[in-house]
Amino acid sequence: MLISIKDLKKEFVNDEVVTKVLHGISFDIEKGDFISIMGPSGSGKSTLMHILGFLDKPSSGSYHFEGEDASKLEDDKLAEMRSEKIGFVFQAFNLLNRVSALENVMLPLIYTSKTKKERMEKAKHYLTEVGLEHRFGHTPNKLSGGEKQRVAIARALVNEPHIIFADEPTGNLDSKSGIQIMKILEDLNEKGHTIILVTHEKQTAEYAKRIIRLKDGLVVKDFVVNNRNIAKNGDELVK
Amino acid sequence: MNIKTAFFLAITSIKRGNKGTLAMTILIMTLAYVNLVFIASIFGGIVEAINKEAVDNQYSNIVIEPAIDEKYINNKDAIRQIETIPKIIGVSSHYIDNPIVKYDEHKDNKDVKSSRWILKSINPPDEKKVTKIHESIIEGSFLETTDRNQILIGKEIAGGYGGDLDHLSLGVSVGDEIDVFFNNGINRSYIVKGIFSTKSTQADQMLFITKKEMESILKVHNWASEILVKIEDTGNEDVYIEQIRELGLKKEDIKKWSDLMGFTSGASKSFTMISIILGVIGTVVAGVTIFIIIFVSVVNKRKQIGILKAIGMEEDTIILYFVIQALFYGVVGVVLGVSLILFVIRPFFISNPLDFPVGWVSLKVTFNIIKISNLSLIGAALIGGFFPAYRGAKESILKSIWG
Repeated sequence: MLISIKDLKKEFVNDEVVTKVLHGISFDIEKGDFISIMGPSGSGKSTLMHILGFLDKPSSGSYHFEGEDASKLEDDKLAEMRSEKIGFVFQAFNLLNRVSALENVMLPLIYTSKTKKERMEKAKHYLTEVGLEHRFGHTPNKLSGGEKQRVAIARALVNEPHIIFADEPTGNLDSKSGIQIMKILEDLNEKGHTIILVTHEKQTAEYAKRIIRLKDGLVVKDFVVNNRNIAKNGDELVK
Repeated sequence: MNIKTAFFLAITSIKRGNKGTLAMTILIMTLAYVNLVFIASIFGGIVEAINKEAVDNQYSNIVIEPAIDEKYINNKDAIRQIETIPKIIGVSSHYIDNPIVKYDEHKDNKDVKSSRWILKSINPPDEKKVTKIHESIIEGSFLETTDRNQILIGKEIAGGYGGDLDHLSLGVSVGDEIDVFFNNGINRSYIVKGIFSTKSTQADQMLFITKKEMESILKVHNWASEILVKIEDTGNEDVYIEQIRELGLKKEDIKKWSDLMGFTSGASKSFTMISIILGVIGTVVAGVTIFIIIFVSVVNKRKQIGILKAIGMEEDTIILYFVIQALFYGVVGVVLGVSLILFVIRPFFISNPLDFPVGWVSLKVTFNIIKISNLSLIGAALIGGFFPAYRGAKESILKSIWG
C-alpha cells in the first residue's frame, strides 16, 4: 500500500472563523495506480492533494505513506519526503523564472550526491523525455504554456519519485498541449509511476484508471474508469 | 541544511538580479563601512595630533622635575649621565621662572603692556634634539648658545599672529626690546630674536632665553628646574624612567608625557565615546539597510521560496540562501571600503592633512579600527539578513506559493 488515509479532516481558521474543507475522507492508493481526484470548485480536492503531498497537514485523521505515519514526521523529514518520493506538477507551473529550463530541472537533484555533470545529464535526459531537448537554455518566460508544464513534469520526474501529484496540469493549456501533457502522464504511469491527478474536468479525469469524486469535502464516489481516455500520439484524444 | 544549494541560489540570485539594485546596495555598504572607519580614524587622528604637539613642543617623552621639597634638580652627575642611556636621542635641561614681562613701545611709561608669562632657559643645541620649537619660527630666528640679551617668544605673547590670547599679548615684533622682571628681583631687557608658533597654545605662551643667561640671573650652575628627555621609541617610556632612576634620581618626580596630558586624556575618552556612538548608529543603519534589501527580496521571492520548499528544500537552506546574499553585500562592502580607505582616502589625508587648532590632523587608521569595522558591518549584514529570511522561510508552503 502506497497511501492510506482514514477519516482525514481539514479546517482553516481565519480571524476566528473556522472553515471546514475536508469532513472525513478515507481511501487507499496502491503503487502504480493512476487516480483522478475530481470535483467542483470548493470540493476540497486541492486541499486533499496538498495534504497527500506533504505541503499541508491534516487537522485530524490518519495518513500513512508507505506504511509510515506522516503525522509524526518533523518538518525536515517531510521536506526530505517531498524531495525524494514526491513530484509535483502545478497548474501554474511554478518554475523559477530566473533560471533556465535545465537549471529548474536540476534543482531537486542538488540534494543528491551526484556531480554537477551527472545532474546535468539527468536533467537533460528528462527534458528530452518530455520533448524539450531544444529548450535547455531557455528561461521560463521564453517558453510556451505547454513547454513550461513539460519542464515542470521533467522537474517532478528528475528525482525518480514514487508518486507524482498533478494539480490541474492542463488547466492553463490549450487542448493540444493538454493532450500532450496527459500523454506524458500516461506514459509515466505505464512505466510504473503512481499518478494522482487533481482536476475538475471530466474529460481530463477519465485518463485515470480510477476516479475519486469529492463534493463538499466528502468522497461521494470512488470508481474504476472502464472506458479511459487515451492520448494517442500525444496530440489526439481517443476512447 | 544544504550549503551547496544555498550558495547556488544566492549566487544565481545575485548574478541574475537587477544590476542597478546590486550596485546601489554595494555602494551603501561601502559607504557605511567608510563611515565607520572614517569617524574612528579622524578622532584617532585628532588625539594623535594633540599628543604629537605635546611631545614635539612641550614635554618631549619624559619630564623630570625636582623632588617635592626641592626647587632644582641638583644631581649634576645624574643629569650628565642621562644622555648615555642607549636609545635616548636628547636631553634638555630647563630653568623655569614666571617673570613679569613688560613692553613700553615708546619708552615713555605710557601704554605699557605687561603680564606674567612662563620663561624657560634652554641650551639651543640640546633643545633642538628634544623639541621642534626651532622648526616653528615664524619671524626672526632661533636662539644661539652664546646669545645673552636676546629672547625667543611664543606668538601668544608677541600678539598679532591670530593667537587665542591676543588681548593679553605685548604686541611686539622681532627687534623690539622687552623688560623681564624675574622673581628674584633682577630685571633685564632683551631684544626679541624670534617668534615661534606651534599648534599648542600652551607652548606658544612661553619665552626662552639661553641657559648661560639664566644661570647668571639665578646664580646657579648646571642644575635644572626640569629636564626633558627624548627617546627613540615613544610608548616605551617606563623602561627609560627605570634606567633614569637607577642613575640616582630617586626622589625626583619623573613623568611620561602622557601623564601630563590631562586634557587630551579626557578628550580622547570623549572622542572614543562619540566614535562608538556614531559607529553603533552607522552599524545599525547598515543593518537596517540590509534588512530592508533582504526583506524586499524575500517578499519578491515569496513564491520561489514556496516552490523550493515544495520540491523538498529545507527551511534552514532557504534562510542560508538569503543570509549568504546579505553576507555577500557586507563582504563586498568591506572589501571596497577597505580599498577606498587604504588606497584613496588615507593617502589623500596624509597628503592634505586637516588644519585643526590642535595640529595637523590626518586619518589614524589602525588595525583595530579595521578589525572592529569589519566585524560590525559583517555582523550587521548577518543579523539584517537573517530575520527577514527566517520569516520568509517559516511561512507555510501554500501561503508562499499562492499568497
